[in-house]
Amino acid sequence: MRSIVLPGEEAQGARHAPCTYYENGRVYSSAIGMLDTERGGVIPLEGPWSPRIGEQVVGTVTDSKNHVYTVDLSYYCRALIIGSRYDRESVEIGDVIEATIKNIEDRSVLILSYPKTLLGGVLVNIKPAKVPRVIGKEDTMLRQIEGLTRTRMVVGRNGVAWIKGKPQDTELAMRAISLIEAKAHQQGLTETVKMMLENESRNRKGE
Amino acid sequence: MGSSLNKPELLKGGKRLDGRGFDELRPLRIEAGVLKNANGSAYLEWGNNKVLAAVYGPREAMPKHVSDPTKGIVKCRYMMAPFSGIDDHGRSGPNRRSTEISKVAREAFENVILLNDYPSGMIEIFMEVLQSDGGTRAAGITAASVALANAGIHMKDMVYSVSAGRIGEHIVLDVNMIEDNYSDADMPMVIAPRNNDILLLQMDGGLDRAQFDQAVKMVLEAGKRIHAEQKRALEAYYGSAEKG
Repeated sequence: MRSIVLPGEEAQGARHAPCTYYENGRVYSSAIGMLDTERGGVIPLEGPWSPRIGEQVVGTVTDSKNHVYTVDLSYYCRALIIGSRYDRESVEIGDVIEATIKNIEDRSVLILSYPKTLLGGVLVNIKPAKVPRVIGKEDTMLRQIEGLTRTRMVVGRNGVAWIKGKPQDTELAMRAISLIEAKAHQQGLTETVKMMLENESRNRKGE
Repeated sequence: MGSSLNKPELLKGGKRLDGRGFDELRPLRIEAGVLKNANGSAYLEWGNNKVLAAVYGPREAMPKHVSDPTKGIVKCRYMMAPFSGIDDHGRSGPNRRSTEISKVAREAFENVILLNDYPSGMIEIFMEVLQSDGGTRAAGITAASVALANAGIHMKDMVYSVSAGRIGEHIVLDVNMIEDNYSDADMPMVIAPRNNDILLLQMDGGLDRAQFDQAVKMVLEAGKRIHAEQKRALEAYYGSAEKG
């Protein structure tokens, strides 16, 4: 059973988890979201990304100084890659990279590690609250879109996705992402997206 | 407050000039998510008041020296469009009145936004009054609260605001422009409905203790209707969610 909760409403059955706060023995929602009584949490419908160590991100290298690279993650905190001579891959200004958050310093500087350069492709912004749906349980949604559109995708938790493929395939993948964003709170989304993508490919063959 | 020399009759046949009862609100309608580029937005019509609210952020706090590495900061801008007022009420550009309202609105929101979740960040709240008819600060704050929820900003509560006033011996709710100008008292309040915490209380004119208590009671009673409309607006925006 899922229902909408607003900030300040009691999240009955929820544990003290993200998007909630605890006061006088009760748990209240702190953002607009869906109350998930089965798992005992609030799934946010909107909102900015809150970075956690170990998450994968996608961004563009914008600056470098003394082997410290600044990465633009479309997020207000600074993100840095501290280079070393043992790095397998070197990055340069202008590169699109995927990386993992190694540490968060002073709560507002993200230290990234294991950068991998992504060549070619396009970057697409996704609402950060919808990223888990675009990826899906154990990457199911992501693999499905990649398979049906014949593209390669990397989705960063910061709400930036990298897509590489033929222009028409890329466009189809982007449409699938917009569909997920619009219907993220509905169940049976994997099926809906599958149907949309299959219909589109059939139409193209018909043409 | 207007001059007492040319004070018009504010009550006729036990009702107010626009035909409302003493504890009656003007018709209120809110729509959430009206601006695509903003992180959250709301459009509100409250009687003749028309207000657009937008929320951006959290973004990097600018200028750098205002940023706080332990918590986020809130910036608020209340502004009347040059075409919003009937007389010289809505002159364009920042003036003493808009600076004051921006400040009190910011302080009200700082109490409910969980700023610790946004270190070094800045949340910008814009309230643009397109058409004014008294009680625009209440309208602006009520709209901005919906916009904040629409932006997914972490908050303890969704605030609402409404003003109470006094005409002679009668306490009235939701004063409009003419009542605001010529009534004996005007008291806008911002309430966090979960515990009925009062986050803002301003008063123009005078109320005695009993009248004050009655005004607060009327505001809290009307707040249930305002909060219900805020909730309806957000649920309408995420409409299909419940069908899920």
